[in-house]
Amino acid sequence: MNLESLVHVCLAGLSTGMFIWLVASGLTLIFGVLGVLNFAHGSFYMLGAYCAFTALKLMGGNFWLGLLVGPLVVCAVGFVIERFFLRHVYGLELPYQLLLTFAFVLLFDNLVKIIWGAGSIGSPSVPGLSGSVNILGRFFPVYNLFIIVVGPLVALGLWALIEKTWYGRIIRAASTEREMAAAIGVRVPALFTGVFVFGTWLGAVGGALAVPYIGLLTPGMGEAIIIEAFVVAVIGGLGSLKGAFLGALVIGLLSSFGTRFLPAFDMFLTFILMAAVLLWRPQGFFGKAV
Amino acid sequence: MGNNGWTRRRFIQAGLLTTGAAALGVGVTRPTGLWAATPKIKGPIKVGYQAIMSGTLAGYGEFHKMGVTLAMEEINAGGGIAGNKLEVEFRDSTLKAPEAIQNARYFVDSWGADFLGGVDSSGQALALAPVMAELDRILIVTHAATEKLTEEQVFKNGIKQIFRICTPTYQDGNAAAFVAKDLPAATWATISPKYEYGYTCWDMFKNTLTKLKPGVSFTAESWAPFGTTDFRSHINTILDAKPEGLYSTEWAGELITMVRQAGQAGLFKSIKHVMFPVGAAMDVLEGLGADMPDNVWISGRYFFLYPNNSTNNDWVQRFRKRWNHYPAYVSETGYSAMFALKKAVEAAGSKETKAVIQALEGMTMDSPAGQRVFRKEDHQAMYDVPWGLTVASDKYPFKIMGKQILVPAKECFNRPPFEGEGTRPPF
Repeated sequence: MNLESLVHVCLAGLSTGMFIWLVASGLTLIFGVLGVLNFAHGSFYMLGAYCAFTALKLMGGNFWLGLLVGPLVVCAVGFVIERFFLRHVYGLELPYQLLLTFAFVLLFDNLVKIIWGAGSIGSPSVPGLSGSVNILGRFFPVYNLFIIVVGPLVALGLWALIEKTWYGRIIRAASTEREMAAAIGVRVPALFTGVFVFGTWLGAVGGALAVPYIGLLTPGMGEAIIIEAFVVAVIGGLGSLKGAFLGALVIGLLSSFGTRFLPAFDMFLTFILMAAVLLWRPQGFFGKAV
Repeated sequence: MGNNGWTRRRFIQAGLLTTGAAALGVGVTRPTGLWAATPKIKGPIKVGYQAIMSGTLAGYGEFHKMGVTLAMEEINAGGGIAGNKLEVEFRDSTLKAPEAIQNARYFVDSWGADFLGGVDSSGQALALAPVMAELDRILIVTHAATEKLTEEQVFKNGIKQIFRICTPTYQDGNAAAFVAKDLPAATWATISPKYEYGYTCWDMFKNTLTKLKPGVSFTAESWAPFGTTDFRSHINTILDAKPEGLYSTEWAGELITMVRQAGQAGLFKSIKHVMFPVGAAMDVLEGLGADMPDNVWISGRYFFLYPNNSTNNDWVQRFRKRWNHYPAYVSETGYSAMFALKKAVEAAGSKETKAVIQALEGMTMDSPAGQRVFRKEDHQAMYDVPWGLTVASDKYPFKIMGKQILVPAKECFNRPPFEGEGTRPPF
């Protein structure tokens, strides 16, 4: 066990964690404010990847333009889902929300197959971020370093938005006291639509950013990540962004170290942690006590 | 059929049918000679075909479908199977065993399938075996590769309803060892799928290579669960072990992802001898394009440039004309499975399971992949697929096999009775 190996296992864990965080952030935000467990969040991730890819193709292969435009298209999808479907089940029990959002998962998986085909599509590389750097004698992709930086920046931005801005205050107010906020003149339905669309955008950006690293786009690519994002959201405390960020870091590092040093248990570790959290601290790291 | 199997009525029916068909004329039904002689077959011939059509591997299902559909179109344009129309229904296998069993039951009990085909996962194939015995329908496996299916379920347990038309893990494990023995690498490691297929291939590779080249050692293994998109930790395990050779049965999108990430980590610079038993799959070659390194050993269940003869080349042309794709290996095995059924049904003069099993056992057929023989004992199709080194080509936007080594099936396939001396290579 040498330093080179240890550093690279850490780096791998950090980048894995930050990929999960990017997806879990939107999921957590939507749950925290709207109280909806959105299964279709993985679909937004997938759609973000595909739309960014198509935008990139249409606009001369510029990755950054694709990253800007693709997720905006997905936002429109998120808007339609919230405004015309989800809004009608807020008052119903959780299983109805899960059923509805799961229906969208199936719908979007098939939609992607119809539009982009069932086969996998190779992804383009990112100009300026495509190489690897030598860290202690072993190469690490520049793109993953970029993700390790982007993750905390997104976390910081979200924190500032929620805690430091006027919008953030309204969002917090509406999420804790829906009726009271409405009574003092907050247009809660419009606010919820806005938050849902923003959460959708976060998921779509996560998908668009994941593609260059995974190396390909496939229908159903959202299914694996959404489970990890859910685990992260649960152990962090459902609805807590701080908890989700920490949870993503822990899960990323746990899976990296687990695969390297406890390979027989790598699949269990994450779920053992989740089970332990649910048993002894069911509200998660930073969730409200239940 | 007993002496009194032919009643007078049936004899007259057969005669009437023959006369009727003759009266309709050649252009209408094109009855073959056999058709007239086999009134027992009441068409259409129905094949229930299942493959993975959802999730990240949905592309494989599409390629299965293309091959099978092309075969169906060609067979029906040429007069069908013994004069009967071939009908195929496809269902999504989802890669889950319970779903595969449900599909099989639906096909036979509700849809009235005469034969079944397809199946991608080894776990599914093993779970289906007893069900096929119970349903008493032939299943031609076109992708699932575990040797346990044919060695244990067919040979040992006597489930005669299962046949396999694709190369099994012998190609991935044994043949790979024959190639590896001549490489200057004494230490090997693997990143492979964390399920039946991955385990059984690595075991076979280790056992056979140890026999061929005593002194070789195996220094690290890292098992990636199904659906892995981040191979970084696995790659770290391999780089820490510093082997001279890397063997990996990762396949499809996960192989694409692993090769990209291994390239970024500089793995191909530090490990010179790399073997991908299913790297010659079209989705992998096309998906990676120039990102597939040169001089990597790849193989598969079929590669569209082998054999270089008119049967294969014509087929590749027809396939490209119909689908605008190069055929994937599951396209070839699906296509050939339909023609295997056609040949066997026509030879048996019946579509009854028992008669067709007898016709298939030991049957020789020409196919795009070359000549296949269904081994009588274990129902495994014997045919040769090369291993080759990746190389860039002006003619294709992806890497192809350059230098090739052919380990013939009869040299690298385990032999019945699969236990004891002389049943495992080298022979």
